[in-house]
Amino acid sequence: MSSETKQPFNLGQFYTKMGPLVALIGLVVIVSILNTSFLTIPNLMNLLQQVSINALIAFGMQFVILTGGIDLSVGAILALSGAISAKLILNGISPILAFIIGVIFGAVFGAVNGFLIAYGKAAPFIVTLATMSIFRGMTYVLTNGNPITGPKMNDSFSFQFIGQGYLFGVPFQVYLMLIAYIIFYILMHKTAFGRRTFAIGGNQKAAFVAGVKVNHILIWIYVVAGLLAAVAGMVLTSQLSSAQPDAGSGYEMDAIAAVVLGGTSLAGGTGKISGTLIGALIIGVLNNGMNLLGISSFYQQIVKGIVILIAVLLDRKQAKN
Amino acid sequence: MKKNSKKFLTSLTVLTAGLFLLTGCGNATVGKKNSNDTKVTKKAKKDIKVGMSLSTLSNPFFVNLKQGVDETAKKNDTKVQTFDAQNDSAKQNNQISDLVTKKVDVIIINPVDSDAIVPAIKKANDAGIPVVACDRGSNGGKLLTTVASDNVLAGKMAGQYLEKIVGKDAKVAELEGTPGADAAVQRGKGFEKEVKGKLDVVTKQSANFDRAKGLSVMQNILQAHGDIKGIFAQNDEMALGAAKAIKNKDIKIVSVDGTPDGLAAVKNGTIDGIVAQEPKQEGKLALQAIYDYFSGKKIDKNIKSPIKLVTSKEAK
Amino acid sequence: MKIELKGISKSFDQNHVLKDVNFSINGGQVKALMGENGAGKSTLMNILTGLLTADSGKIIVDGQELTYKNAFDAEQHGISFIHQEMNNFAEMTVIENMFLNKELKTKFGMLDDKSMIAKATQTLEQLDANIDLTTKIGDLSVGNQQIIEIAKSLMNDTKILIMDEPSAALTETEIDKMFTIIRKLKQQGVGIIYISHRMQEIFEITDEITVMRDGLTVANYKTAETNIHQIVKDMVGRDLADFYPERQPHYGKTRLKIANFTSNGVFQDISFSVKEGELLAFSGLMGSGRTEIMRALFGIDHYDTGTIWVNNKEVKIYNPSDAIKHGIGFLTENRKEEGLILDAAIADNIGLPSLNEFSKHGLLDQKNENTFIDLLIKRLTIKTVDRTATARSLSGGNQQKVVLAKWVGTGSQILILDEPTRGVDVGAKREIYDLMNELTDRGVAIIMISSDLQEVIGFSDRIIVVYEGQITGEILTSVATQEKVMTLATGGKLDE
Repeated sequence: MSSETKQPFNLGQFYTKMGPLVALIGLVVIVSILNTSFLTIPNLMNLLQQVSINALIAFGMQFVILTGGIDLSVGAILALSGAISAKLILNGISPILAFIIGVIFGAVFGAVNGFLIAYGKAAPFIVTLATMSIFRGMTYVLTNGNPITGPKMNDSFSFQFIGQGYLFGVPFQVYLMLIAYIIFYILMHKTAFGRRTFAIGGNQKAAFVAGVKVNHILIWIYVVAGLLAAVAGMVLTSQLSSAQPDAGSGYEMDAIAAVVLGGTSLAGGTGKISGTLIGALIIGVLNNGMNLLGISSFYQQIVKGIVILIAVLLDRKQAKN
Repeated sequence: MKKNSKKFLTSLTVLTAGLFLLTGCGNATVGKKNSNDTKVTKKAKKDIKVGMSLSTLSNPFFVNLKQGVDETAKKNDTKVQTFDAQNDSAKQNNQISDLVTKKVDVIIINPVDSDAIVPAIKKANDAGIPVVACDRGSNGGKLLTTVASDNVLAGKMAGQYLEKIVGKDAKVAELEGTPGADAAVQRGKGFEKEVKGKLDVVTKQSANFDRAKGLSVMQNILQAHGDIKGIFAQNDEMALGAAKAIKNKDIKIVSVDGTPDGLAAVKNGTIDGIVAQEPKQEGKLALQAIYDYFSGKKIDKNIKSPIKLVTSKEAK
Repeated sequence: MKIELKGISKSFDQNHVLKDVNFSINGGQVKALMGENGAGKSTLMNILTGLLTADSGKIIVDGQELTYKNAFDAEQHGISFIHQEMNNFAEMTVIENMFLNKELKTKFGMLDDKSMIAKATQTLEQLDANIDLTTKIGDLSVGNQQIIEIAKSLMNDTKILIMDEPSAALTETEIDKMFTIIRKLKQQGVGIIYISHRMQEIFEITDEITVMRDGLTVANYKTAETNIHQIVKDMVGRDLADFYPERQPHYGKTRLKIANFTSNGVFQDISFSVKEGELLAFSGLMGSGRTEIMRALFGIDHYDTGTIWVNNKEVKIYNPSDAIKHGIGFLTENRKEEGLILDAAIADNIGLPSLNEFSKHGLLDQKNENTFIDLLIKRLTIKTVDRTATARSLSGGNQQKVVLAKWVGTGSQILILDEPTRGVDVGAKREIYDLMNELTDRGVAIIMISSDLQEVIGFSDRIIVVYEGQITGEILTSVATQEKVMTLATGGKLDE
């Protein structure tokens, strides 16, 4: 932010760098003027809680998008891994162990995507469209179409804590989001793995010639996406005290929207994880704010679409200049 | 660009730290302590702020329910704010959180799922906001009342009528709603209990309460079981889809719901009978219960919304 | 037809790209437009073809001033531009490409294939070219694709044809063929503006030479009355001591040895070795297999049999990462496709193959990395604002230096350079040669692939020639001539 102060001020550059943050602040200012209950601690906690599931998925999605790919199966992975751990809990396995196993399953589902994309040389859109259907179908088979719930889930403190618990007055899942943010911030911007991720998105052939093991990196990236979707699945299962067979449908779109709102190009190669967090917050503030303002659900969808369009068009305009 | 993220990271940390201080330290908790039952503060109808979250507004049934609430509210100058949960439990819970933040006086919930709604109802309980469940119940939390029609009874009535028009031991098919949905489970239960030993249910398949699915699922069923004489559809939408599939064949259809489209179809004979619930009435009953509550009257834990059988013969 | 550009000026922001430039071309004339990258040639040509609008100045055609509304206007006036990177659609057929956007239609609005084929065939006959109109254009050789481009402009009644580096991707025979076509067009009264870095071609085909430098036209010559040294001097604004620096190699141990290297149907039984401090040139026509050998050696492409020794130890190479581990670096011939991430920072490009060196406990030591990258930028005299500028923002020569910096940075002991000076201007060329000298002095073994015969003979120690996937000969550069290399490259034998 301040490192470029020596150069003359340039509004265009300023917008490209700060656009998402400016949009978020602007949105917060508008909503808090229109509704005084917005800027209260309980509501902000609410808001962060609502944002965290989308943010968790979006962090993983961003890695995928940085390589120029897309992962449509995250919503289905969320549901399937949530259902797996719920089943385990009902069968007497301790919730913490069940969550860990669920997350590992999520990572494995991601690895399946990654393997098909890397070694099958298939388009990510098609592969994950297919696995989305497969994972969703498996969820229905596993749950028999019914939500999974039971006293073993409802009476367990550790099960309830993940999605409904508070630590020092802050919802526990917000810590999960922040921890994930820090870990994946470091992975994306401070490690060789992250740099190689950007390189693959920038020019896969050149990255390969420069010694990047493209296939390995791709598989790991889809593992990350699957793993984070599964973590979100654990949070949601706990939050709803049940594993819903159709949980997370459409969540991939919200995650993609957060990534794009945060300034990551769908073509891959450029983006910041802070942008994605801001993007998720923008969507969260929009949802929460419009609910508080009493805007009808029908109009909310239109407004959300328009905001995404504006963000993308502004970004395109800057890219051209 | 890396500097940005670093700064943002720091500011986030500071923000969270600040929030700790603001919210005060405390031990790890799940939910908050239940507030004691407080005495009802009486309110005039025009002063009541109602928040409502409906499972979906892409189904005419719930649109009618909303109309019932809205009409009554308009008459009495009550403010109602309505959200569409788009059949997403997580979204519904968020909407209820936001209604709690808004400090509405009462919340009407038509749950997407009776289990998944529990945490949200508890949250409203904690904030001392009464909750009315509508059309579907909740498996936990404290409810002021549940306004619903008896789905088991509806299934039973549909079964009885189907027996009457297709004759004993006839082959019939059942179109089920969204797997796991309360209405699907209960209507199925009532129907199957009734027809056991009286009708031959050759196949049961889910068409997700959806008209288009009803059409395609029925087409498939007809391929396998061309000789069925009757269909029980767990809602009107699926029945309307199924009616398109059977065309001129003499197959009787009976369903449950009573949407305007469904009732029109009964009138022209495409559907033979509907166990009609009255979504509009349900909405009106829900709001009436709220008025009663705020005027200090005692209200029942369960309010049954009326159902009645409408047949094509009567309709004509 | 005569076109004059008078007093053309153009600036982008504060950057004055053209300053009061005059240029003219007549029908039936071949005129070279020379200058380093960034001298303003492309901007001037884009103004002539209407892609850009001049800030001031006039375009006069046969005495009449011309104003363009858009790029199609220029075509209407008979001016065509064949760009260096051909913009055709590889997956479409030749005939579809030739009539793209200009399809002939029947009365009923349907495509009139018959007339289109007739017209295309007639135009290609005019060029003595025999090309199947129904093949996908991507399957044609680059030379034939170029001929299609020329044919396309002829169908538009072109009076003035601008050719930007037309020979860059052509083999010697294809260049000869193209020259025949140019001479033919010249007889038909077409004026040709020929832009190229290749001196030899300029002196073979052009009638006049205009030299640009820093946005000005600095000299105009009749080709017959000037020489290479004069032109180079005008282009760079100073005397270039000698075009190629001298080689004073000191050989050490064998760095790399290949035996019986075969990829079925691509190259067979390739064996050679290269020593510490040696600059080995690989010559051969395009498609002879010289590039493919190196790609397989580096692990980009697959090979079937063969043994590789690095520093006398047998090694297995399955992918570029293995090759890099064994100290091999590879500058590919197509830097935009395989050499650079154009929209990434220079630093990210240079650092990419060396990331492991800067990882400590899994984290990148960015401070250390940046110091290292700044050092490389300085050492290779890459002209840029700083390391965060994108690779795209650099000129061709500086882009090439970035790719070189990547491999210098990994400390490669064996460097394979495929067309290291292609599309690089004269000044930067010399800097690349000097760097190659410096590297071999420090014991690096370099294998250079080049289509430029002069370069092969002017700057190497030993030449291996490949023809149809096999090594046909090996000559010490000290006794090599262009004729000898060409003989081997076309499958002939040297009489000893």
